[in-house]
Amino acid sequence: MRVALCLIVLFGTAACSRTVNRYALIEDSLMAGNTQRADQIVEQAEPDYGAESHVLYLMDRGMTLHLTGRYQASTDMLDQAEQEIERLYTRHLRTEAKAFLINDSKLTYEGDPYEQTMINVIKGLNYAVQGNWNEAVVEARRIDHRLNVLGDRVNPKDGYRDDAFARYLSGLFFEIAGDLNNAFIAYRKAYEAYQQARPWARTPVPPSIRTDLLRMSQALHLDQEHEQYRREFGELVWQPYSDTHDLAQVIVVTYNGRAPRKEDRLIDLPVSLDALKLVLLTKLPPRAQSQERRALESVLYGLNGHVVRVAIPVLVPQKTDVLYAEVTAADGAHSVQARTQLVQNFTAVAEKTLADRLPGISVKAVARAAVKYGLADGVRHGARAAGGKDKEARLIGFIVGSLAHALAIASEEADKRSWRTLPDEIQIARLWLPPGSYELRTHSVDHNGRRIGHDSGYAVTLHGGETKLMTERVIP
Amino acid sequence: MTGTQAMADTSRLRHGVFHSVSMLTAMFAVMVMPIGGCSKSTRVTRVDTNLVTDLSGRWNDTDSQEVAKTMVKEALSFPWLDTYTRANGRPPVVVVGTILNRSHEHINTQTFVTDLQRELTNSQKVSFVAGKGEREEIRDERREQAVHAREETQKSAGKEVGADYIMKGNISTILDEADGIKAVFYQVDLELVDLESNVKTWYGQKKIKKVVERKRMLF
Repeated sequence: MRVALCLIVLFGTAACSRTVNRYALIEDSLMAGNTQRADQIVEQAEPDYGAESHVLYLMDRGMTLHLTGRYQASTDMLDQAEQEIERLYTRHLRTEAKAFLINDSKLTYEGDPYEQTMINVIKGLNYAVQGNWNEAVVEARRIDHRLNVLGDRVNPKDGYRDDAFARYLSGLFFEIAGDLNNAFIAYRKAYEAYQQARPWARTPVPPSIRTDLLRMSQALHLDQEHEQYRREFGELVWQPYSDTHDLAQVIVVTYNGRAPRKEDRLIDLPVSLDALKLVLLTKLPPRAQSQERRALESVLYGLNGHVVRVAIPVLVPQKTDVLYAEVTAADGAHSVQARTQLVQNFTAVAEKTLADRLPGISVKAVARAAVKYGLADGVRHGARAAGGKDKEARLIGFIVGSLAHALAIASEEADKRSWRTLPDEIQIARLWLPPGSYELRTHSVDHNGRRIGHDSGYAVTLHGGETKLMTERVIP
Repeated sequence: MTGTQAMADTSRLRHGVFHSVSMLTAMFAVMVMPIGGCSKSTRVTRVDTNLVTDLSGRWNDTDSQEVAKTMVKEALSFPWLDTYTRANGRPPVVVVGTILNRSHEHINTQTFVTDLQRELTNSQKVSFVAGKGEREEIRDERREQAVHAREETQKSAGKEVGADYIMKGNISTILDEADGIKAVFYQVDLELVDLESNVKTWYGQKKIKKVVERKRMLF
């Protein structure tokens, strides 16, 4: 009876480990420029996310709603995600134990720290696109607090403990809302964060931060800092704050490519010579990672009963082809051009985050595999002993034991969840323009200098001192 | 080893194996299986509106009402009110201006403005006139009346009462957080400015400090 119960539990978990690959459909829709469809796919898939991944659903939905231009709905979703993450600070022993015995995808997903920061970034962008700079500034304050808490918590030698892009965007929000002092502080923190993350972030310091620092330090009469930056940056063309104050500003934010995805790296450890032969046999080509192959391996290893499987997540980059976007604002007589600058490389951030977490994940995975093996072996011996010594009972013991081992192998998978509706990179362009009506056009350029994606155009009317922020999604 | 000893050993082994399997199975089942009867259901309870409901530690209706009540009471207890009333033979006219949100939360400052307006009006010590947004609506109504209403019921323009003082201010926060304990410090600054001379007649400050503690682990 006890054995049967255990098997039912194992069966149940194996069924639950089924994952739905919805992201391919979302990416197809985004590539076709159909953001509405992408949002519908996420909305319809809510039950598939399940209770453990509800925060992930809210983050994905918040992003697709942002892309469709439903900014308030996006903010509402991300608000919920933020509150849920706060609630998840308290961990439940039962959930932790369940995840330890089955796999890490049974843990309630609360997002990596950089994903949590992005919740406030997207919320801030939602307000900014609507021209609600005071509320965007609230998000900038929340970003500052979040990153301060993270900085206190994470070891200084570890990777992601600050977010240069989030700091830079906060600086923009503060400056546009007229809070120059906080803008200067945010720009300075962004500049330092870009420099500190240089070994791994694959994002050079955006040139505009240097001009922003010069402009703000001059406007605030911070003469010492201003002189220091002038010496540090050398000959740099920049406009004083007084010259830009009466101009209008257009900020174009482009989301390029797809965030990296995670896959399982399965490590099969044989604990007998027969098992070693079996593992070597299954590792012979072809090595396709199909569900059928994994099922077959589970059965074979289950029959053998002396293989331990450990699953570790690995990151698969999905790099964008976009090098930059060209933004042109034309009013009939004149035109002003600017190129977008890389401000955030999510693939690099995700790689660093996973690399920092990997030792902990690996130790836990090995411990889990050992416990599962012990449990399945206990079931095999228990069933055999319960049946006595006759041939039929031994057969039942063998079947039950093999099934327990097979299920222990089949249920082992890495936690592959991540906020995949984020892009691979974010780039930004800033244009200062005299007040007036403009035709604004953007097109993306790849590494070979070819145009890619869709060209887009907007008609905008700008007043003096006004700022308009626009976003653009480019998939390839 | 005799046959009896071997049988005893086998029995002990069997018992041991059964015991360990039972333990493991029980542990597995308790931890993994969802516990029946734990399903959540929505429950709605009506409570007194004066009841303090600190659920998340964020700025809430209680904070808004309490701050408005305390600060208006304090503002009206200062000598400027008597001085003005004696000098002019009437109570001063006050308007509530902008309350800036400089906090870490998306606070609906309009609710706070309404609370201030209510406290000022109900005090009966000052006259209170409509704020900027409301005035536009009232003027629109008067313009409509001038076209559509009977002449004897039309309200004429240019008879508004101008405010003597404007009350304005801001809400700001300081946050501190570590190891699941978050301290939120709210500071509400209000000032009353003489609209003719720009003299700040009164300056008030109200502080609220909340500590939110979260446990790291629960069963």
